[in-house]
Amino acid sequence: MKKIKVYIGTLGLDQHELGALAVARMLRDAGMEVVYGGRFNLPAAIVKTCLEEDVDVIGVSCHSWEHLFYVPEILELLRQRGVTIPVVVGGSVITPGDRRKLVEMGAAQAFGPGATEREIVESIRAIASGRDRT
Amino acid sequence: MTRKRTRSGIPLKDFYTAEDLSGFDSERRLGAPGEYPYTRGRRRQAEGGWMQRELSGEGDPARSNAQLQYLLSQGQIGLDVIGDSPTMAFLDPDHPMASHAVGTQGVSLCCLEDYRVLYRDLPLDSIVVSGSLPPAIAVAGLYLVARERGISPDQLRGSVIQAPFYAEDCGYAIHMPFRLRLRMACDCIAFCAREMPRFHSFVEDTYFFSEAGLNGVDEIALGMIEIRHVVKELLKRNVPIDSFAPRIAILVNCGMDFFEEIAKIRATRRLFARMMREEFGARDRRSWSVVITSHTSGLSLTAEQPVNNIVRGTIQSLALVLAGVQALEISAFDEAYRTPSPESHRVALRTQQIVYLESNVSKVVDPLAGSYYVESLTDEMERRIRERVREIESMGDPAELAEKGWFRRFFEQAMAEYAAAVAAGTLPKVGHNMFRISEEEDTLLKEIVEGKIEPCRERIGAIRRYKETRNVESVRLALDALRKRAEEERENIMPYVIEAFRAGATMGEIGGMLRLAYGWPYDPHGLVECPF
Repeated sequence: MKKIKVYIGTLGLDQHELGALAVARMLRDAGMEVVYGGRFNLPAAIVKTCLEEDVDVIGVSCHSWEHLFYVPEILELLRQRGVTIPVVVGGSVITPGDRRKLVEMGAAQAFGPGATEREIVESIRAIASGRDRT
Repeated sequence: MTRKRTRSGIPLKDFYTAEDLSGFDSERRLGAPGEYPYTRGRRRQAEGGWMQRELSGEGDPARSNAQLQYLLSQGQIGLDVIGDSPTMAFLDPDHPMASHAVGTQGVSLCCLEDYRVLYRDLPLDSIVVSGSLPPAIAVAGLYLVARERGISPDQLRGSVIQAPFYAEDCGYAIHMPFRLRLRMACDCIAFCAREMPRFHSFVEDTYFFSEAGLNGVDEIALGMIEIRHVVKELLKRNVPIDSFAPRIAILVNCGMDFFEEIAKIRATRRLFARMMREEFGARDRRSWSVVITSHTSGLSLTAEQPVNNIVRGTIQSLALVLAGVQALEISAFDEAYRTPSPESHRVALRTQQIVYLESNVSKVVDPLAGSYYVESLTDEMERRIRERVREIESMGDPAELAEKGWFRRFFEQAMAEYAAAVAAGTLPKVGHNMFRISEEEDTLLKEIVEGKIEPCRERIGAIRRYKETRNVESVRLALDALRKRAEEERENIMPYVIEAFRAGATMGEIGGMLRLAYGWPYDPHGLVECPF
């Protein structure tokens, strides 16, 4: 079976990387392949990398509420290219209210500070396999 | 066989006795408060307490000015202003990376006019103005605004953070080469020693990088490595040790390990005093006694049940007061989610006021001195920090380690270990990895954490217009002079930074010119062309 391939990176000028590194590690531990984009990414660069790398899931994090602006931009760029790659957002600053908003905007999933490792891994696996069926 | 340990891994006994201090030379290890080796603090008297303040800055400079006025009206004694993420990254608000972040996590400051507005109606000659801002620019702004108002810069009090070693790896990347970062720090400190002698131009900030999840031993070890290197560099330039060492401060973190944090601060003062006196030959007693300023740990807070963070802030601030710090800021209870709200700022300030005015704990200096446990722990922290410094310095020149990314890997490792310890529950976080409640039940203070500061997008257009309407020719001349001096690597570049700022150059442009002088691209993100 092909390994699930996930992009992980942080958005904009946010420099908090603890969460992104932790998620990258837990996904690798769970047998997935991680394309680690590190810090300082704008939507256009993320989408370009993700298309080149042919990832199954795009995972972005942001330690401020910029994610509320960047996530729709990523989704719009994907739409323009005619591809559907699920976008997952993580971040310890994501409030319950943000989570609802992000999912309404079209994010496949949003993880706030209470998300456990198991929830994150299982959810990403389910999202990736859902994509395979389509 | 006990398995109890402190956060730094020091094994603990059930209790401590005189035997744990056998051979303890209290004269040599403690002295009296206000005396070498300053383990017990820099002053003999407890009067006056500490500087109570809260990290502030949001939106545009006018909005932050109103916030600062409010905090002063509430009894805050000093100010600590932090820039938004573009400002901290040395970028102007009109940079494409900045668009959604202008003014959301701090104040947006990029030109002299911004500093004029930020400090409007604030009594700069009587308050203490600290900046968690790019230091060369913060000094330029304060210096120029003071002079415009007829205040002599030698009257200015306050501080800036110098983080040439770790900023790039851990939270405050400005995309400049190590050599340039180190030079800017040294130039700024040397300039202030001459022009602003009351100003603490060298705050060693161990707070921000220890928020990667470092323990107290590693936090202070890394801080000592940076201080030692910067001091050596200044001595190489013939800046006399006693001209700047009295104005060194260390901004420490305070997590939840109550006694270890107290021991850490006491050990830090002793290590610093010995380094300054024995290694660097400082003669001025003020050079031996480091100022300790402090933040309670944002990392220790939980997003769940945010009201519990008020308790964490209280415990941590009590530890800091018992350790005898000179300034204290409590990470606000909503910090896990947002830039502090006015409500959480007030709670944090009130917490400090209650500790200070109601509890009586600050009436006596260093009240824990002589405790079998605290003195044992202080000695052990000192030993371990010293050992850690030696271990890291033996791996090579710290400057080379920084350039080769060694510290970056160190922080990544710490982040991974911290996250794993929280996930496994070995590092207890009440409400997060134990004693959780459902989201429906977790409502107390939640309406405050949902509040957000909108990006201040009108700043983007305003700065673009400013760049078109200023005297472009004088900006160009000043920036050319700055670039030339920076390339030559002889003179102190601070006067040229100040002149460029005065002429109307922005922070982003000054940063770009400095990068060019060192052979780096003007815009680190490759999105903006050099306009000059």
